[in-house]
Amino acid sequence: MKSSVIVSPELLDELGLLRILDACQCRSPQGNILKNSVTFYTNNSRNSLQEELITIDKLLKLVRSNHPQVTEGQIQLSRLRELRGTLGRLEKGSLLDDTEFFELKSAFAIFNRLRRMKNLLDAAGVNFEDTKTAATLLDPAGTANPTFHIYSEYSPELAQIRARKKELEKEIRQATGPQRKTFLTQRALVTAQEDQEEESIRRQLGMKLAEWLPQIKHNVSVCGILDFRLAKAVLASRWNGCLPTLVENHNPAVLQNAFHPLIAAMLEKQGLSFTPISIELNKGTTVLSGANMGGKSVALKTVFLALLMTQLGYFPFCESLQTPLFDFFAFESSYEGDLHRGLSSFGLEAVQIRNHYRKSQSQKGLILMDEPCRGTNPSDATAIVQALCNVYGKSNSTFLIATHYHVRKSSGIRFYQVRGISPDALTELATYRYSSVDPIETEANIPATASNLTVIMKHEDLTRVRRIQNLMDYRIEEIDGVNQSSSGAIKIAELLGVDEELLREMIAARQEE
Amino acid sequence: MDAVAATKGIDLLQLTGLQDLESLAIIGLSKNAGKTTCLNHIIAAWQETSQLRPLALTSVGRDGELEDILSGNPKPRIYVQTGTLIASAEGALLRSDALLEILELSNIRTALGEVIICRALSDGYVELAGPSVTDEVSTIGTLMRQHEPECLFIIDGALSRRSQAGSGVSEAVILCVSAETSANPETLAEKSSFALSLLQTPALPEEIALVFAEAMVVHPKKRVYILNGNNSDMTLAILDTPTLVGNGKAIANKINADTSYLFLQGALTDQVLQELLSESYFANLTVVVEDGTRLFIKPASLQKLRDRSVELAVMNPLDVRLVCLNPTRSNGQYIEPELLLATLRKSIDVPVVDLGPKTM
Repeated sequence: MKSSVIVSPELLDELGLLRILDACQCRSPQGNILKNSVTFYTNNSRNSLQEELITIDKLLKLVRSNHPQVTEGQIQLSRLRELRGTLGRLEKGSLLDDTEFFELKSAFAIFNRLRRMKNLLDAAGVNFEDTKTAATLLDPAGTANPTFHIYSEYSPELAQIRARKKELEKEIRQATGPQRKTFLTQRALVTAQEDQEEESIRRQLGMKLAEWLPQIKHNVSVCGILDFRLAKAVLASRWNGCLPTLVENHNPAVLQNAFHPLIAAMLEKQGLSFTPISIELNKGTTVLSGANMGGKSVALKTVFLALLMTQLGYFPFCESLQTPLFDFFAFESSYEGDLHRGLSSFGLEAVQIRNHYRKSQSQKGLILMDEPCRGTNPSDATAIVQALCNVYGKSNSTFLIATHYHVRKSSGIRFYQVRGISPDALTELATYRYSSVDPIETEANIPATASNLTVIMKHEDLTRVRRIQNLMDYRIEEIDGVNQSSSGAIKIAELLGVDEELLREMIAARQEE
Repeated sequence: MDAVAATKGIDLLQLTGLQDLESLAIIGLSKNAGKTTCLNHIIAAWQETSQLRPLALTSVGRDGELEDILSGNPKPRIYVQTGTLIASAEGALLRSDALLEILELSNIRTALGEVIICRALSDGYVELAGPSVTDEVSTIGTLMRQHEPECLFIIDGALSRRSQAGSGVSEAVILCVSAETSANPETLAEKSSFALSLLQTPALPEEIALVFAEAMVVHPKKRVYILNGNNSDMTLAILDTPTLVGNGKAIANKINADTSYLFLQGALTDQVLQELLSESYFANLTVVVEDGTRLFIKPASLQKLRDRSVELAVMNPLDVRLVCLNPTRSNGQYIEPELLLATLRKSIDVPVVDLGPKTM
């Protein structure tokens, strides 16, 4: 997984992938082991991925129809204990104790109940081995009682010893003084015989159960698979995941109305809604440009998340999605710089540019870059970005780049842009005059402490920024490439009340360019 | 009440009203206080009076071993009757000789392994090693009640800073004291009476307890909850510190002249009190703890609190039904119980008995 998905820990955190996977809740230790082992499916495991996705789809139908076997199955799975230790000891021929026999007896009961849930098992594409005969080993009297002890039914000798012990215990209850002591001593002798007999029964029982190890192990593993697939289906149901279509490698990835559940939830808290992303990614380069504050980074994260989740065997959060299978995923964002480590941000970017390019020479990658060369001088940056677009345009990998730098049309390059703020919407927003009074000056009596040396952004300004954001049309659309619009930064500066003189200079400078 | 009469099962039950209880904690004032002996007396009394409800036993920490782990002296063992429920760690159960049926695995881990819920299918010796945290004791109680809803849940408790047997876990308490604490009757009576008075610390007014209970739901697992103002106009302040010890200064800084109640979650020790007493605002208020087992303070500290008009109160009052005296010391010395009992009874208002030895 590590070499197949190249993304910094900080960006991984921003992507929210781990928080989303946390929301996929397995009930059993076996399900959690599978989940935590993380499988990255590639072309070599295309059939397994296909099977995984189809079973999740079938389970999703049961989840959505509130099929009773879903809840019942989850209850049974949640009762299953981690059995590796007990099975390991059974395999080694160690003497099991009562707790371990109890664990196995409980597991047999769970297997038996799950085995009867035909709809659930058919949907999950799994089958249980019949272990009823093994279960009877732990219930010699056939009481169907879930509890366990070494039953007297295991041997006539044990039954006799216990009968003697019981007689003595009766005597002990009535006796006092030295007589009681005598009975207690006799009881201790009988107890020693009981221990010996119990040990021999435990040994035989262990040997008989060991014969069932293949079936037990199979069923334990089936529980894990069932649990994990069911958890994925519940996750898909919660956030409207869809069954992705896996296409051959020469086909594009096509995402319809993809969304990011965590960002969507955050926006919802602010009374806003997430604008779904639709995009087609051919092999080669796709350039995403558009206004500042236009949600390019969110679009990139959403696309990356949907495609990566698919290859991790989960349903992506989309209306529909088709995708070829990539050999590796890479995501770079200059926003998450490594400045705190005291290293040059471009230096680190260059290392990644080199690595991804080399990897893409032999493997088909999905490489996303969010505003590379952000801190580099614009003419160099434009040249680097253009070069990246050109080389990946001819490669077998899929390269999606969000950039403000101008990219010239060339073969293998497609262009998308965020719609941004429409001119009509802009007229609704009267230009704003920033108050010339410095807030610090009006509060002259505040003692000079370190905390009030920093000017806190005025509430009015924050509201303004939010209002502009609300006017933003975050939808992305394919464009020709020649008419790449400006980032709209100067317009936003104007809307936020940048002084006229400064604004005039900005416009003049832009025109000169 | 003489020692001999008290050993009759019927008297023990009458004295403590055990038949009407759902839960009981046995707390020892010191090591070798006679908790296990007391438990064995209860088990015997339960059998002699043919009670129909089963007993359900667990301990806070470890008990019922053959030897005292600290002194190496032989300890009384717990001998249970058929039908008794036991919650004890795997390792301790291996050293038990009653035939035990496993009912459930609790998922609560201890140093001796997972706590297992069992039913005794025969009479026999068991070793108790239950959970060490109050929340877990409460979980064990719930699990046992699922199997035997009518059981009398008995916690073989310990007075320690880490664990407690009270806090809503048990309805009533038996306090065990021994000559280990002091062989001098007056000193023993003084210490026992003081310990008892802490255990019996009165409950908060119901409306204030309700405010704190709500605060604990809204802001769970905080150490310090402070109520400022009076009844008509109260405000709540919260302080989150990892422990009370070492943070007395921070707590003291949070209180002001307006503070009326200071609720501390955890053990209230002399050290914490010392830090609180250094704050001049720490006066004319009530200090609240979960229950009387959370108070680890010396008589002198209590006097200092009184001088400042600081009251003590608890969220969950403990109903101490009986004080049991063990006249034997761990070095084997036996102190004549008559004088000890007489002196104890003079200063203690709950029945005091010497149940006598009960090694099964």
